[in-house]
Amino acid sequence: MDGGVFANLMNGFSVALQPSVLAYAFAGCVIGTLVGMLPGLGPLAGISLLLPATFGLNPIVAIVLLAGVYYGAMYGGSTTSILMRIPGEAASVMTCIDGYAMTQRGRAGPALAIAAIGSFVAGTLSVVALMFLAPTLASFALRFGPPEYTGLLLMGLFVLAYMSGGSMLKTLAMAAVGLLLGMIGIDAMSGYTRFSYGVIELADGIGIVPVAVGLFGLSEILLTAGQQTPPAIQRPTLRQLIPSLEEMKLAIGPISRGSVIGFLIGIIPGSAHIISSFVAYGIERRMSKHPERFGRGAIEGVAGPESANNAAATGAFVPMLALGIPTGPITAVMLAAIMVHGISPGPMLITQQPDLFWGFVASMYVGNVVLLVLNLPLVGLFVNLLRIPYSYLYPAILCFCILGVYSVSNSVVDVWIMLGMGAFGYVLRKTGFEPAPIALGLILSPMLELSVRQSLAMSGGSYGIFFDRPIAITMFVGAGVLILLGLKPLLFKSKDWREKVGLEDHV
Amino acid sequence: MTRILIGALLALAALHVHAQDAYPSRPITLIVPFPPGGVADITARPTAVALEKALKQPVVIANRPGAGGAVGNSLVANAKPDGYTLLMALSSISVIPEADKLFDRKPAYTLDQVIPIALISADPTILVVHPSLPAKSFKEFLALAKSKSGQMSYSTSGIYGALHMPMEMFLHAANLKMRAVHTNGGGPAITILLGGHVEMTVGGPAAVASHVKAGRLRPIVGWGAKRHEAFPQVPTFKEMGYDIEYYIWAGMFAPRGTPEPVMKTLRDAVRKAVDDPEFKSMMVKIDSPIQYLDAPEFAKYWAADAKRLAEAVKAVGRVEDQK
Amino acid sequence: MSGTGIQPIGGTARGLRSDVVAGLVLMVIASVVGWQNRAYPVGNLAEPGPGYMPLMIAAALGVFGLLIALRARTSPLFNAVDWSEGRRGIVMLIACAVAVFALERIGYRLSMIALLVFMLGVVERKRATPTLIVAFGFSFLSYYLFASLLKVQLPRGPWGL
Repeated sequence: MDGGVFANLMNGFSVALQPSVLAYAFAGCVIGTLVGMLPGLGPLAGISLLLPATFGLNPIVAIVLLAGVYYGAMYGGSTTSILMRIPGEAASVMTCIDGYAMTQRGRAGPALAIAAIGSFVAGTLSVVALMFLAPTLASFALRFGPPEYTGLLLMGLFVLAYMSGGSMLKTLAMAAVGLLLGMIGIDAMSGYTRFSYGVIELADGIGIVPVAVGLFGLSEILLTAGQQTPPAIQRPTLRQLIPSLEEMKLAIGPISRGSVIGFLIGIIPGSAHIISSFVAYGIERRMSKHPERFGRGAIEGVAGPESANNAAATGAFVPMLALGIPTGPITAVMLAAIMVHGISPGPMLITQQPDLFWGFVASMYVGNVVLLVLNLPLVGLFVNLLRIPYSYLYPAILCFCILGVYSVSNSVVDVWIMLGMGAFGYVLRKTGFEPAPIALGLILSPMLELSVRQSLAMSGGSYGIFFDRPIAITMFVGAGVLILLGLKPLLFKSKDWREKVGLEDHV
Repeated sequence: MTRILIGALLALAALHVHAQDAYPSRPITLIVPFPPGGVADITARPTAVALEKALKQPVVIANRPGAGGAVGNSLVANAKPDGYTLLMALSSISVIPEADKLFDRKPAYTLDQVIPIALISADPTILVVHPSLPAKSFKEFLALAKSKSGQMSYSTSGIYGALHMPMEMFLHAANLKMRAVHTNGGGPAITILLGGHVEMTVGGPAAVASHVKAGRLRPIVGWGAKRHEAFPQVPTFKEMGYDIEYYIWAGMFAPRGTPEPVMKTLRDAVRKAVDDPEFKSMMVKIDSPIQYLDAPEFAKYWAADAKRLAEAVKAVGRVEDQK
Repeated sequence: MSGTGIQPIGGTARGLRSDVVAGLVLMVIASVVGWQNRAYPVGNLAEPGPGYMPLMIAAALGVFGLLIALRARTSPLFNAVDWSEGRRGIVMLIACAVAVFALERIGYRLSMIALLVFMLGVVERKRATPTLIVAFGFSFLSYYLFASLLKVQLPRGPWGL
């Protein structure tokens, strides 16, 4: 296959650049961006909604359209996070922290632009990696069983130590609240329904979208709308829309690191790709010379997570294309889309359907370009939303949140959860607690609990399973190092930045 | 102003009531208790299209996922029995009330709250093992499983799930012990088997076919009454002397109390729908064999299936009670 | 109490600290969860049951809560926390709750119109014309965009609205 990569790719481009296919890629990106902007409707919903419409199309067009929706939705989620502090899906929770802080400082334009550029670079780099490394990486990804997963998730959990700007004790307490929320619902290993109190919708557990929209978006509205003086209307000039040279320089590192981290986490089967943006944020904060800027509008805090989540999105295609196994719900729907056209996905896809595979790869390049071309001009349009007086804007945002959260699974219970979380988030912010660890805890706890118990079921209760597998032990050593790094300021009382800026005068 | 508005609304309401004579006179909602893209959903979509042609009214699909299907199932079970809210359920519909009983939960719905319209598709499951396992045939497999009792592990789509029940039926019948590694879906169950983290799983033919062709999984035995078309070389449990059968099926239901004439219209419409060539080609593409049974036969089939499943659930019991 | 506004960090005024309250609330949450968790078997280390992880996390939360309360010395005074936006917040939440309650009963468009009319007309005291334009415009436009074009399933009321 190696010798023919370029010939095959050219062949793929000849498919993807046909005007009709291009038009579908474009339509997909537009629809995806729209869907992604609605909080709650992420890439999964976008693809699922459009799936029936693709039944009548030819397979290549169908897959190109859906891939466009996928990319568009991944990007669209960042728009509402940056402009309104509403994370449309789990992946943009981290973006909304520094992205919205930039908006408040009048730098919404650069934040959106960097998000678009970061997504483009990460997407393109990941497609290159996918093209050359798919089969190798896929068999590596399969070696991630429950024990390896446990190690990975523990690493994700310890990234928390660096995530928040406040007291580490409060961060841990909020993480514990998030982990507890994640315990609600049917326990996959025993069938018990925990803490659902007879509400059958709760048997599935609490979704991340209602919680994130409530904690971040709704709490922000509650906090801002009631103020005596409404936030000033912003009238950005053209110049303020474009990232400054300094901002560009600051973003290069986070974008490239984010791409690599995102891609590597993305190829692992399961839902771990969600943590890629959290990990990228934690790492950027660790690497930064001025970590105190994070949470107050650091461009790195937008560039890193946004690149990581886009790279992870592409990485997720590796096992799907190379092995025909869905790595998560999104790829599962994509597989269903291919199957409907009578193409059996799986290891033979590349050899049996070269047109489809290479057309798909080429259309991913095309999709990334289309998305960039589409979104950079839109930055100007979106930023103009901030010209609307806040007293008109926030009731509409409220409705938008209700609409979005309801449509996740057509459930009113989700909207109730969002309202409750909004009130909770308001109280938290009043008392100096940060909501981000709750979101991470909620995402991690069902996965972590399941993988620990799956591992123990595999080994018949022996903890040796975590230590006699090379990848797992590497992960655990990594997690151990992270704990030590996190404990360092406690143990050595050294010149940690937290103390320097007076953020943490206790603990 | 208000008075005019209320008047207009009342007039509209009156119109609305008046229009309810010949069934169907307005769009029908087909509830799919799973998210889009799953077996129930991709069976429901072509069915809805074909039903529209037969009923001359739009058939709208509404996905109401949650709690392994319990949310959507109970929605239809408690809906107004007017024929405008129908259900496309999977075999799991019979398991959920049994599991509720097991845990003393208030049942989300009971089976007698719905009545069958027709069975649309049914597919027997297949036992697949990782190719590193030395067993090539069922005999070798059984010998291996006996010698390593309690040592081998299998992955499932979730406890009491569609890929857990058939395995339990077999283990119960063969008096074997294995470790169950529950995951949260059919996809993850196959993924961890492909990685060699467990020894075997139960799979739907469509889900495992391509992996079997590529030599990444080895089929051992099937749960069908006769051999599966896609796997003619794979024997069935019946051939091997075990009286166990298991199918993943999709069927349509209506709330109990739906008037007889409405039921007749629906049954006729489904009969026409499954004969629709477009429907047939769609079902072939998604590897889902049409297994049409009209209400009376389906009711019998369903009763037998529900009994088998109830027994299997009881045999599994609560996990901690087994110890 | 030293007048209005938030007490500067490290202030010397005496009184109830906000972190003491927060810590106590967390400890209460932890104990409630721990109590409720009795319904689920805990199992043992080799075979953790459904109650194992909730118990562990609740215990950890309780410890964190205790530590937060003990180290509250430097946090602002509880009475000094400014809750002035709270009143409008509660009005907003109640309005949303009513709209959500109505959502599946009278449909998406009607309940959103009602919510927007209330928020703009009553809470924000906007004039009638812009209020109605925004209310109707937003509900119908968003419904058209998401429900009609993108096929998102939004609830419709008894009159098809």
